[in-house]
This record gives sequence, structure tokens and C-alpha cells, in this order.
Amino acid sequence: MIKTERLLHLKSSRGRKVRVVREHYLRERVPCYSALCQADCDNDGKVLPGDLTHYVIPDVGIVLDFLEILEFREIQGIIFTQTACQAVQHNKGRRQYNRLRNLLKDPRHDCVLFVNEFQKYSYCPREKGESQEKWQTRCVYSAAVWFYNHLAGLKDIVMVTDDSEAVAQYSSLNSGVYVISMQEYLHSFWSDVNAAHELYSSIVQAVQERESEGSEREYQEHLPPEVLEAGIKCGRYMQGILSVNKHRAQQEALVTTQGFSNKSTGLSCDVLVLGVKNRNRAVHGDSVVVELLPHSEWRGRTTALTEAQGEERSMEDQNNQPMPTGRVVGILQRNWRDYVVTFPTRETQTQSRNSQKILTVPWDHRIPKIRISTQQADTLQDHRVVVRIDSWDSTSLYPNGHSVRVLGRAGELETEVQTILIENCISVPPFSEAQLREMPVVSPERPWNPDPEQVTTRRDLRQTHLVFSIDPKGCEDVDDTLSVSRLPKGGLELGVHIADVTHFVKEGSLTDQEARARATTYYLADRRYDMLPEVLSANLCSLLGGVDRYAMSVLWELDSASLEVRSVWFGRTLIRSSYQLHYELAQALLNGEDATVPELNQLNPEEQSQRLAELTQALETLTHVARHLRAQRDRGGALELEGVEVRAQLDSEKNITALVPRQPLEVHETVAECMIFANHWVARKIQESFPHQALLRHHPPPRQEFFSQLQESARARGFTIDTRSNKSLADSLEQAVDPQDPVVNRLLRMMATQAMSQAMYFSTGAVPADQYYHYGLALDRYTHFTSPIRRYADVIVHRLLMAALDLDRGLSSTLASNRELEETAQHINNRNRAAQHAQRLSTELFQCLFFRERDPESDPSCVSDAVIYAIRDNGLLVFVPQYGVKGPVYLRSREGEVLTFGADGHCEWSSGTVKKHSDHITTSSLSGSTTFRLFQHITVRISVQSNRCHADSLNLEVIQNAPHETSNPDLVPTQSKVQLIQEVHRQAEESLQKASVKPKLSREERQYCQSKQPNLYSLLEEIRELSLMDEEASAKKLCATTA
Amino acid sequence: MAGLELLSDQGYRLDGRKATELRKVQARMGVFAQADGSAYIEQGNTKALAVVYGPHEMRGSRSRTLHDRAVINCQYSMATFSTAERKRRPHGDKKSTEMSLHLKQTFEAAILTQLYPRSQIDIFVKILQADGGNYSVCVNAATLAVIDAGIPMRDYVCACTVGFVDETPLADLCYTEENGGVSSLALALLPRGGQIALLQMDARLHQDHLETMMEAAMIACKGVSKVLDEVVRQHLQEASALSRD
Repeated sequence: MIKTERLLHLKSSRGRKVRVVREHYLRERVPCYSALCQADCDNDGKVLPGDLTHYVIPDVGIVLDFLEILEFREIQGIIFTQTACQAVQHNKGRRQYNRLRNLLKDPRHDCVLFVNEFQKYSYCPREKGESQEKWQTRCVYSAAVWFYNHLAGLKDIVMVTDDSEAVAQYSSLNSGVYVISMQEYLHSFWSDVNAAHELYSSIVQAVQERESEGSEREYQEHLPPEVLEAGIKCGRYMQGILSVNKHRAQQEALVTTQGFSNKSTGLSCDVLVLGVKNRNRAVHGDSVVVELLPHSEWRGRTTALTEAQGEERSMEDQNNQPMPTGRVVGILQRNWRDYVVTFPTRETQTQSRNSQKILTVPWDHRIPKIRISTQQADTLQDHRVVVRIDSWDSTSLYPNGHSVRVLGRAGELETEVQTILIENCISVPPFSEAQLREMPVVSPERPWNPDPEQVTTRRDLRQTHLVFSIDPKGCEDVDDTLSVSRLPKGGLELGVHIADVTHFVKEGSLTDQEARARATTYYLADRRYDMLPEVLSANLCSLLGGVDRYAMSVLWELDSASLEVRSVWFGRTLIRSSYQLHYELAQALLNGEDATVPELNQLNPEEQSQRLAELTQALETLTHVARHLRAQRDRGGALELEGVEVRAQLDSEKNITALVPRQPLEVHETVAECMIFANHWVARKIQESFPHQALLRHHPPPRQEFFSQLQESARARGFTIDTRSNKSLADSLEQAVDPQDPVVNRLLRMMATQAMSQAMYFSTGAVPADQYYHYGLALDRYTHFTSPIRRYADVIVHRLLMAALDLDRGLSSTLASNRELEETAQHINNRNRAAQHAQRLSTELFQCLFFRERDPESDPSCVSDAVIYAIRDNGLLVFVPQYGVKGPVYLRSREGEVLTFGADGHCEWSSGTVKKHSDHITTSSLSGSTTFRLFQHITVRISVQSNRCHADSLNLEVIQNAPHETSNPDLVPTQSKVQLIQEVHRQAEESLQKASVKPKLSREERQYCQSKQPNLYSLLEEIRELSLMDEEASAKKLCATTA
Repeated sequence: MAGLELLSDQGYRLDGRKATELRKVQARMGVFAQADGSAYIEQGNTKALAVVYGPHEMRGSRSRTLHDRAVINCQYSMATFSTAERKRRPHGDKKSTEMSLHLKQTFEAAILTQLYPRSQIDIFVKILQADGGNYSVCVNAATLAVIDAGIPMRDYVCACTVGFVDETPLADLCYTEENGGVSSLALALLPRGGQIALLQMDARLHQDHLETMMEAAMIACKGVSKVLDEVVRQHLQEASALSRD
């Protein structure tokens, strides 16, 4: 190593210029990360392949402006220089820098980092009087030359720069190093990557626009970061995440102060930011700094329902509690993502200054309009387009952005589904060649067989244990199986065997990376995006009947009388499932009904009955154990929450013909209970082995104030709900049943679910031990272990469990540290939230598409029964059991007219007043008055409110103040949901006049017989989470409507 | 908001070193003829001068005399020009008193004081340029000066600072790293026996990481000791060549 010194002139804290001398060590050996390396560089990790036509080294300016283009996977062989990386870090901030870092880490992308400034021969010290840009370009060029020489001229090096002087100066200097501009580079090397070209021109335009900005100021300047930080520390400012109110995007935004309860002002609640000026260019999701306004300017939130058109209303804040109100003074961290926008139609385009600049309307209500420059405005009318925001200067009313790619025409099914995916940042490209190459080859000629080596190391349960699976009918991706047997020396042995995904998906492999990025399988209303390639999820990892499979097993030895756990064994096993049962069959066997088990058909009757007895015996024992476990948890206070639970029914071709509401069979609960038990024990094991780096799942107790609506509503019906603990809540919900109306209990449970906080994954090192508790399941430690095929968390837990077992044997293995694990946990939580959100949005999308084709005036399916579950200032919130739709109903229109019913039950709109009470709301006008009570059944008409730029929404309208006569709401609550999906598909197909447009996935479903939801347990779990999720969305809705 | 990335993904630190690499150490012994022992050391850009007087009779208050061993008197100071901004540094300010005490403790553990009862050994250290790791550079300088003075020691005392970033211990921190919000630890080691003469840390650190930090510090100290040993041998060679002439 050679020591040199580097002089820097920095500003000191007091603003004086200071001369700083920093050491700078150079070395001869810096890894080049190229497969062609002649000098045995220490290249571990990602290596550039040798078979590319050239390597490209982008200049600093290119990396700063066109990083997005370099992100294309088609563009291979990129060498980023350290100089460029540092420039990104300094000029573009942490977010952009992290993006670059992730790009470098991503094994799917061919790019490496060359640490040019620490390389003895490629480093060039800055000369006196040389500008920073010139010096950086020189550094990059010298790195390019070094590379050329280092690879002994085997590979041509292309340096891309937009500095025309540099092109002129350097291009003729060296034979193998070409210096060209970005445009030229894209044209000559990647002329087939059209998307890159489009993006390039879009960015260039945005850059030009930025330079030619006007100077009139629309917003206050943001304060510099030092001032912000000092202000936060001394309590003058508060820091938080901005979330914009979806229903009053122009007006209201809340800043959620994270954890910093501000001591000096005694404030720990959220800060309201009113109006666009006060919001000062912050966008939903940004981390901002707010300054509180004086007390006299504090305002309350509006509680009235607003019409979805989003027109501004005058604030009705007189009677509302004023809350802390502030204005944004600075932004700590932008949190911009890709946004889906819609181009305006030509008529509405404002041809103000420049016809190339167009204001586009984002799909998400909370995002401001984005100004982009494009020449394609005419062709892109009514299309949905993905854009990115580049900047938002104080001189501009709207942010500037550029378009990235076109999704398709608004309103079409594919476009809308893509929109949902992008808005939730879900990226699910098909699995790449390289990923699929990692998978074992399976074909009918060469079936997969266990590796003899594995057979010797695993515990072989094939002969000794009766293993069976219970799943929904027709399900073929089985990730859990069960076994139970009596031990010869007394006692019971209960076993849960889970698919051994980690055997096939090695940590750090491409498949693992992809699964980690996806974190979960995404279920949309009509399709599914798998976390793992099909060969694993439907075949090798699936614990099918009659074939040998690898498994991770948990075996408990229970006392036969008290059912106490005597000992537990974890480990890798080899199993062969004897029976692949479905729920109805299992229940029939339990009930002693006559049922045929397909696996036994070939045997003679004698043997058949003997085997059947054996199986029935096992099922009975299992039920016995599960009852005991459930009772144990119930004593602890486990909750049963309401969700709409359904099962897929498949016909002979494995098409889903209908969803049948859950017939609550006991065997469902038995299976679920065993899974919870396994999860719990695994959680205990890994937490004890790795107290600081185990992945668990907790469910924090809900905040009591969220229960107020539930308690109020229950009081209206004369029930009291005790919410002090999960046990009392479970008990009182149990009792709150109205014998005449089963919907009441369902709604109460739904409201309880809304009050719940969300269950989350976490790393044990990051959370104090008293917060490990799972409120809903009433367990002190819980994790996810039983569905590794569709959840990445389970994969991590499997690895942790293996490491824990190694640790017991005295082997140590490297694990993710607490911090890394916590990051992963946050990532999985985020993805789960996105998955649930996307699932809900897609359901809503299908509902809208379903009703769009129907005429609300004539079609009987548009009229339905609804139950009032909450009352607002000018309307009601109702639940439509038949379609599972929740929504607002307005009793007062914008013109101030109210809805009343005449004596004949006919409704009319006339001017009048609305009076709200705690459990009922009365409208009165000249023609009479009408009262609506909580839990009253009314009849509503459903119509679609179409919206060009945003998602369509359903509009509910009261047409009768009495239950809908024909409807029998609870009998088939969601049967219509699947019909609805099929209906919509049929319509889409008809309109496209193509028979083959049937989505590809349904064909796959047919092929692999995969049910949309793998099994009922997971389905229940998902619905439970979904309903927990609902809380967030409805909470937002409530934000809009409650003070 | 520490904007600097102290350890890059590729494992390089700000100045191009890897996590375990020390700064360049250059040292000379016997720089002043009038003192009993003296040494000058550069560790990266941190430069220190150490001077040793003694063992000699007790000066000043005789009441401090110890009857079974020598008293060690240390004084640490920083030159006014040692930092980026010139600053007058009066004697006896808190920081330098503390540093003096630390030095004293370190050398009481290393020097065979019982050989010189009722006497005193003075060690004066001055930082000429500060660029991180002041304490450890002072210890290293003083060790050389003590050796130069011919005072018997159990072993070299070598010191090194170690910081903890991204779950990785960084050896021999420079000024920017020390100020970058790193929890750092200073360790003085008698390398041959592996005894710790002084361990000092005033930052927060998870208990689990202490072990790895100490291990890294000990390895770094052993590295320093190798360099110091070379310096001493070279000095001896030169001195003996001189005396032969």
C-alpha cells in the first residue's frame, strides 16, 4: 500500500473554510470482477461474464442522470466507478445511492463496482484549479484505460459521457477505449432495447425542462438540513411521515410523528397540515419536518362524508376539536416511487405555455398532478402510463417527471391489474432462465428421486409413521402433513411435517434472491403470482400422496392422559404421505359415515377395513389433541375474528366452479390448531437458540381508543363489550349474539377486527422481550413455519431452525445479523401489506367491472340488502353482505337536499335537515322524517361511479327503508364473488372477440390442479390478515369521516 | 445524519484501507540528545513526540515518594497547531489530565517500577498533529521513548483504537471515522503475554460485540508491536554501528 495525501477544503461547523488533510491509501491489487482477468484478481461475488461484446464505463454525469437506463437488465457489462458512486451519494441523496447499491448487489444484473480511486495506477489526483467535473471525468477515463490494460486488451471498453469536450479529448487517445455519448452508445449497441430509447428521450427532455425553469416562486424554500436537524433536536420542529387524506387530497394531510413524543410541547399525536401551500411540495410518504402553527390557527378535521368527486367544501371546523396544525418546512427524505398516471383527453389539456408539457393525473388520489414533457400526448390519450417524479422546485406548482412506459388503455382489465401491481410496487416478472436452471430437472421420463446421500442423513419416517395430509379438495400444492401415533412405551406422538423448501432453495441462490424480493405469493382476484417456480411449488416441495418427499418435521411426545408435552424433536426427515385427504372426507371418517378413501380402492375388503380403522383412529386422536390445544389457548384468551371464509370447489377438469361458504367442520380447526402448535414450538426453539436474531411474528395489543366505535355500536343493541384483555374481548364477543339477526355478531366481530393492530414479523434483537406476545392467538411466541412454499418468512424460519439444530450439535453457522434480519422482516411486512392491498384492490376492481355492465335501474342483481354499521354527520356506512361490499350512503346531497321516505316507502329528495344521534340518524323535510338506526337493514342500489383517472368506485344509494324482500343475505355471501370474476372475464373475452384470452394462469391452474388458495388453514390465516389489513384502509376512511 | 459511508460494500474505508489494516507507522528513536529517552512517531497523519526523563530522584513534593517502587509521572499535551483550526490549549484542561492519567496507568502496568524504589520517571508526550487515535499513538511513542531511555519493561506496550461499523470492527480509526458516530474502544496490550494494560471505551456498544472488538484490537496491537520492534532493532543497529566507529 502506498500512502498519499489528499487535500480537501471543507467548511467547518462555524462556516469558516478549513483545510483538511486526509490520507488516501492506494494499492495495486483491486479486484476487477471480470471473468477475463489475467492477473488472478480476488474476484468473489458477482463477476462480469467474458462473452460480452464490450464493457461499458459510464461517466459521472451519466450515472447521475441516466441511472434508470442502466438499470435495464438487457444492458450488460456495466462497470460503475467509485468516483461515480460517490457523486451519486453526494448529489442525489441516500435514496438514489441505495438504489445504485442494490443494483450492484442484484445478481440478476450484470454490473460491478470498480474501486478506481484506491487503485494505484488508475487513481489520478486532482490538479490545482481543475474543476470537479473535469477531474471526475478524468478519473473515469483513467479507470477505463486501466481496465483495458488489465484485461490485456481482450475486451473493448466503452466510456459513455455526455461531456462533448471529453469525447473530443479522449476518444483518439487510446486504441481499445472508446469514448462516446449516451445517445450514440444506445444507438450503436442496444438499438433493439426500445424501452431504453424511450426512457432516454423522456429523461433528456425532463433535464432540459429543468434547466429552463421559470423563476416565479410558488412555494417557500425548504430549510437546509442542518437547520432542520438542529430544530428537531431543540423541539422547534417535528419530524414525521406525511400521509395525505385520500378523500381530501387537496386539503388535508397528516404527519405521523414516529416515536418522538415531543417533550417540550407535550405533543405525541399527529400534526395536521392543511392546504397545498402548507404542505410545501411534500408528497405522500415523504419523511418531512413540520413547524407548528400558533394555537389560534389550529383546526379540526372534517367529519362529514364527502362525495367522491373530491370537490372542496368549506371547513366545518367550528364544532370539531382543534388539533395541532403545522406547515412543512423541510423534507428529510423523499419517498417517491413509480406512479401510474392517466393522460388527459385533448379537450381538457390546457395549452398554456408549451404544448409539450402535460399535466397528468396520478391514479392514486394522494399524489399531486405530475407535469411531464412528451410528444406522444395525442397517442397516449386515455392510456395509463408509468411515470417517475424527478424534481419539484419551489418555482413550480406541480412536480416534474418523465414517463417510463405505457401500460395500456384505461379501463381494460389487463391495464387495471397492472396498475394495481405497480401502485403497490409489486414486480413479478416471469422467472428467468438462470433461475430455472437452478431447479432440478423433472420430466415424466426422469422422475425425481431422493438422493441416497440425503436418505442416510435424514430421519426416515416412510415405514414407521402414518403420514397424511388434509387439504381442500383437489389441492396439489401441499405444504403440510400430519401424523399421530401411540408410542409403545405409552404416550402419544404428534407430528407436523412441512415441505423442505430450503433444501431446494439454497441461501443466496438466484431463486432465493427472487423469492426474497417477492416475499410472498401474490393472490389477486383472478390470478396468482408464485413466489417459487412451479416445479418446486407444485411438484418437488409439495408433499403429495404416495411419493417420497423431503420434509422438515416437528415431533412431540405427549402424555397420553394429560396431553402435556414431554419432549419435542425437530429435524429433517424423509416422508411418504399415505393419504391425501380432503376436509369433507376426513370429517366423514370422523363422523363414522360411509366414505371411500381413494387410496384404498385397490385393496381387498379385509385389508381395506383394517386400514380404514387405522386411519380413523389416527384422525380421532388428532381431533382429541387439537381440542385440548384449542381449549388451552382459549383459556389464554385467543380471539376468533370474523372474515368471509370460503372454499373453492373444483370440477373434474379442475376448474373452479364455485366458492362454497365454509361449512365449519371441526377438522378445519384441527388442522389449523396443529399448525399453530408447530409454529409456536418452532418459535420457542429458535428464540431460545438465537435470542437476538430469530424471526418471530407478534401481534401487538390494540389501542383501546380504537374500540370506541365497537363499544358504541354494541351498546346500541344492548351488548357490552369488554375490551380490557383479549380474553374478555373474546368472551364478550361470544355473548353478543342477536338471535334474530346473525349479521349483528358478524359486524361486531368485523369492527373488532378493524380495531386490531397488524401482526408483524420482527427480529428478536430489535424488540424487547415483553412485546413478543401474539394477541390474537394468545401465545407468548409465534412465528410462521408451516407454509414455506408461499411465504418467504417461513423459509427464513426453516433456515434458523436448521442453524439452531446445528448449534445443538456444536456446529455454528453464519446467520443474518439482527440488523439484517430486522431489515428483511420489515421488507416482508411491507410486501405482505402490498400483497393484501393489491388483493383487495383487485377484488374491488372486479366488483366494479361486474356492476359496470349492468343497468342499475333494471338489473335485479344491483339491488341488495344492506346493514348500517356506522353513522356519520351526513350519511351512513353500510355493509352489503351479498357482495361483501362496504361503503358510504349519503343522506344529504351537495345541494343540501335530504332523503326522506314517504308513508308508502317511496323515497324523495327535498330540502331539509339531518340530525345525527349516537345510535340513529334522522332526516326531516317538509314531507316527513325518516330515522335510520344502527344495524337496521335497508335496501340499496349499487351502481358504478366511473372515473377516468382513478379506480372506479361503487356508489350505494338507499332505495328503501326496509330489508330487501327477495334477498337472503347470509346464505351465499360470496358465491357471487367468483361468479362475478368469471362473469367479468367472460365479458372481457367477448369484447375482445378472442377465445384464447382466457388468462394464462387459469390454464396453469388446470394443469397443476392448484387451487387458488392452497389450503384452508392458509386461507383462514390470509383472511384473518386481510381483515386486519382492512383496518388500515377503513381507518383511513374513518380518518376522513371522524374527528 | 452522518452522510459518510465509513465502510463501503466492497469493504473499503474512507481512506482506502480495509477493515483490519493499520495506518502507515513511521517512527524514530533518540530524537533529542538531552533527554534520557525520546521518540517521534507518525501513525498516518497523527504525529506525536515523547520524551522520557529518569529514573531520577523525586522532585517537587517528596511526600509522593513510594518506598517500594518508582513513581511514574505523565504529561500529555497537544500542540496549538495540531488540529485543523488553531486553538490555544492550556495545561491541565480536563481532556489532557484524563489522558495523562490513562498514560500513567498504562505505564505503571508495563514498567518494572519495583527496580527503582524512591525514584521518579517522567514521560512527556506531545501531539503535533491530531488525526485520530491520539491515545494509542501517545502510548506507542512513549513505549519507544522508554525503551530509548533504557528503562526495563515487561514488554512493549502497544495500543490501538478499534471502531465498530456495520457489525465489523475497524482497526486504527482516523479522525473522520472517530467523528462519524462510531463506538470506539482503545486498548493497550502487552503483546507477548497478551495482557491488557488498559482498556477504555466511553461509547455505547452491545455486550455481544465487545468480544469481537477486543479480539480485533488485540490483533491490531500485535501488528503495531511488530512495527515497533522493527524500529527498535533498526535503531539498535544504527546505534551500535555508531558506537563501533
